[in-house]
Amino acid sequence: MTQQEINIEVLRYNPEKDSEPSYETFQVPFSHETSVLQGLQFIKDQLDGSLTFRWSCRMEICGSCGMMINGVPHLTCSAFLRDYYPGKLRIEPLSHLPIERDLAVDQTDFLQKLESIQPYIIPKETRSLEDGPFKQTPAQRERFYQFSECINCLLCYAACPQYGLDSGFLGPAAMALLHRYNSDSRDAGQAERMPIVNAQEGVWGCTLVGYCSEVCPKGVDPASAVNRNKVSSTLDYFFRFMAPRGASE
Amino acid sequence: MAARRPYVRPMAGWWRRNPFYIFYMLRESTAVFVALYALQLLYGLYMLSIGEAAFDTWLASLQHPLYLVFHTVALAAALLHAFTWFNVAPKAMPVLYLGTRRVADRTIVWVQFLFFFVISAAMIGLALGG
Amino acid sequence: MQVVQTDIVIVGGGGAGLRAAIAAAECDPKLRISLISKVVPMRSHTVAAEGGSAGVVQSCDSLDSHFHDTVAGGDWLCEQPVVDYFIASCTREMVQLEHWGCPWSRQEDGSINVRNFGGMTTARTWFAADKTGFHILHTLFQTSMKYPSIQRFDEFFCLDLIVDDGRCQGIVAIEIATGEFFRFEAHVVIFATGGAGRIYPCNTNAGISTGDGMGIALRHGVALRDMEFVQYHPTALAGSGLLITEGCRGEGGFLYNKDGYRYLQDYGLGPVDPSPRPKAMELGPRDKLSQAFWHEDRLGRTLDTPLGSVVHLDLRHLGRIRLHERLPMICEMAETFLGIDPAEAPIPVRPAVHYTMGGICTDGNTATSLPGFFAVGECSSVGIHGANRLGSNSLAEIVVFGKVAGEQAAQAARTSRGIDTRAVAHHAESSMEAALALFEHDSDQRIVDLRKAMQAAMEEGVGIYRTEEGMSATCRILDELVETNRRVHLDDKNRVFNTEWLTAIELGFTLDVARTMAYSAIQRKESRGAHQRLDRYEQRDDTNFLKHSLAYAVADAPPRIEYQEVVITKLPPAERVYGGQAKSQLQGE
Repeated sequence: MTQQEINIEVLRYNPEKDSEPSYETFQVPFSHETSVLQGLQFIKDQLDGSLTFRWSCRMEICGSCGMMINGVPHLTCSAFLRDYYPGKLRIEPLSHLPIERDLAVDQTDFLQKLESIQPYIIPKETRSLEDGPFKQTPAQRERFYQFSECINCLLCYAACPQYGLDSGFLGPAAMALLHRYNSDSRDAGQAERMPIVNAQEGVWGCTLVGYCSEVCPKGVDPASAVNRNKVSSTLDYFFRFMAPRGASE
Repeated sequence: MAARRPYVRPMAGWWRRNPFYIFYMLRESTAVFVALYALQLLYGLYMLSIGEAAFDTWLASLQHPLYLVFHTVALAAALLHAFTWFNVAPKAMPVLYLGTRRVADRTIVWVQFLFFFVISAAMIGLALGG
Repeated sequence: MQVVQTDIVIVGGGGAGLRAAIAAAECDPKLRISLISKVVPMRSHTVAAEGGSAGVVQSCDSLDSHFHDTVAGGDWLCEQPVVDYFIASCTREMVQLEHWGCPWSRQEDGSINVRNFGGMTTARTWFAADKTGFHILHTLFQTSMKYPSIQRFDEFFCLDLIVDDGRCQGIVAIEIATGEFFRFEAHVVIFATGGAGRIYPCNTNAGISTGDGMGIALRHGVALRDMEFVQYHPTALAGSGLLITEGCRGEGGFLYNKDGYRYLQDYGLGPVDPSPRPKAMELGPRDKLSQAFWHEDRLGRTLDTPLGSVVHLDLRHLGRIRLHERLPMICEMAETFLGIDPAEAPIPVRPAVHYTMGGICTDGNTATSLPGFFAVGECSSVGIHGANRLGSNSLAEIVVFGKVAGEQAAQAARTSRGIDTRAVAHHAESSMEAALALFEHDSDQRIVDLRKAMQAAMEEGVGIYRTEEGMSATCRILDELVETNRRVHLDDKNRVFNTEWLTAIELGFTLDVARTMAYSAIQRKESRGAHQRLDRYEQRDDTNFLKHSLAYAVADAPPRIEYQEVVITKLPPAERVYGGQAKSQLQGE
């Protein structure tokens, strides 16, 4: 196997020592199948054990290893060093999220948002386990399935300037998951979730930049979830406006 | 004792960082030209309401080279505006189904373009024929 | 040190831990439940399970058949009463997941769809495309947010159990983001910490599967059971070990050697059917398939690649439409990691370490020998997998026994004898000091060198086939590594988000667990399931070894191995048969 070398420039930030982040460059050998993640692991194993980043499954499903590669949000396990050679790579933590240390960002804001959307089935009918599974045709499943494929990797938050400008905005992934439950034939929680959608920081914080869908590694298309909810938010507002107070359920 | 000190990066100049954002800003800025053009049309309507002479003066003023440049830029902006919104339209509308098959995003975009060209051609035909 | 007082501590936020948390919360909403995980729960390794989860659902199927498949698949080293309970509970738990929103794949009429899996008599594997673990994990994680009594401590690294007065009274953890120590005082602790596949160089596991829970339990005198049984999944990518689901073969994929020959027919798995009958050929059990690869490789009938020898998994005949419907993630992975389209080209695969059948020894109620301490999921050995686990039984296991663990813990928390706060604080201090001592070492011994030496030794000596000579060499190397590890060097002397420090602590656990595998293996002088020997002990020996191994820690010495009888109630030991014979055996029953 031929081994070549590539320069990886990494954003470093140690909250115990640094007042602000700075870049550090490492030279990393690679072969055809070396992922960017493996490049970082080489640095940590062999050159500087203090380089800090998250990773786990190595196969694009756990959502841990998202970073900015040359300014573009990407999972580092499925980006390959060969594709950047002979140029160099600049690796930074995901944009718009606070940096804990080096390439690890603070994810707590997203987790709170996820919790706020009631991301679970609010059932239409009480059904005991003895009654068996709900019936759900492949067509009914199709209506929400794409949105259930979100791996919570936060690339879409790193892609969304509106979130960067105002972290109060619910953001793409949380909205996609909200839409996932609202679109599920087993769920009846739409009315409960509507105030979140209608809020200034709900769908109306989105200006349809559309980059979130561009960078999504799973084809979830969060921009469509957000913007479809603009339609439902408008209708919801309209009907509440039209209906006499207290007349709606 | 060690503690967290998360670093928040500044957002200044964010839209210059990525070609995608630059194009987004361009798309948004086209709205300015579309709005200016609309204002200008309104002004024409206002002149029409005053009388034929006023309207003719307004029409004549449109022949000014600066106006021609403005119109060219406004047309380009309006076209870009329309095309970019055609492209994102599938994201903003409820999912369409034909029977049980979902209508592809691509199809929705093409149908809009089809309507756009057909209606534009009809309008131009009407204008030239009339 | 910060203190958290709680009723139940659950360590591990994968499927088993989340299911346990929900069960405990449903049992008694007043219980304070602390869910501790070294990664945010949706990053847990359950996420990577692909093919599906077992549960008898077809009218042509029966619980007895699933029972038979599981016990025979485990080469009779299963606790039959526990298997009985497990089989009877699987379907109910699958329905529970469905009610919570799991997007199971469906038939046209809206009912659940099932697929074939290796070693199973009929189709009983529920699946959500080929992302079943991902969907189960996210369903459980999101559903857990419904219960206010579950308090999550995300990215807290469990360092130690606190044991006093002969019972478990809490844990010590490090908050990763700050490097601060936390003492959790609890009436009950459940470990759901996952497997230890990272002990081997080529494995399908996530970086977090380092056997932490097993290592901690071992140090407190709890036995690790059946550790010599390590599952090699027959179809993983060469080099990286990334998993290519058994669902590929469940859907009808073929395995070819370099001559384009379906070689499994040479290993008692024939006849060759145009689409394999259950329990035959490509639908054989994992141990047999991985062993067949080993033989093909020795005979020079595998293909050479820069990343090692491979065979071909051919899915082309399934057609693009079916592939994209049933196996979308496999298509994506083949494209991303290999640059091939499975509809056009076969996928090069080889066996890689996948699962630890053994683990923390528990009874059928997930209770360990240490009062107040429970274990569930891959870190545990509740007794259902025996010497070889069948695919799709482990996702079912985490929910079936996760529920049991949560309920048992809720009950135990109510009857607890209280916590001795002073003693607990004292134990926690000493765990903290041990962890901080790692910063004081002065050597040039890098973590990566120790890890690689361990992995190479395990693959060499305790791989698919084993010999006395190879295993004793591995034992010697591991003993040395445990010594060297006491002086391992850290570049990073900071406390905030110090992942190098945590990796060093993990390596300590991993090495201890590796030793239990090697020492259990060398003393099992027979071949059974995933433990296959080439040195005079090629046969199963029920007279001497129809027994579980129990590995106990011994201070400053290798583990001590003892044995425990296997409880056999319904199905007496018989020959394991697959291929054409399996059918006739079933008909003969």
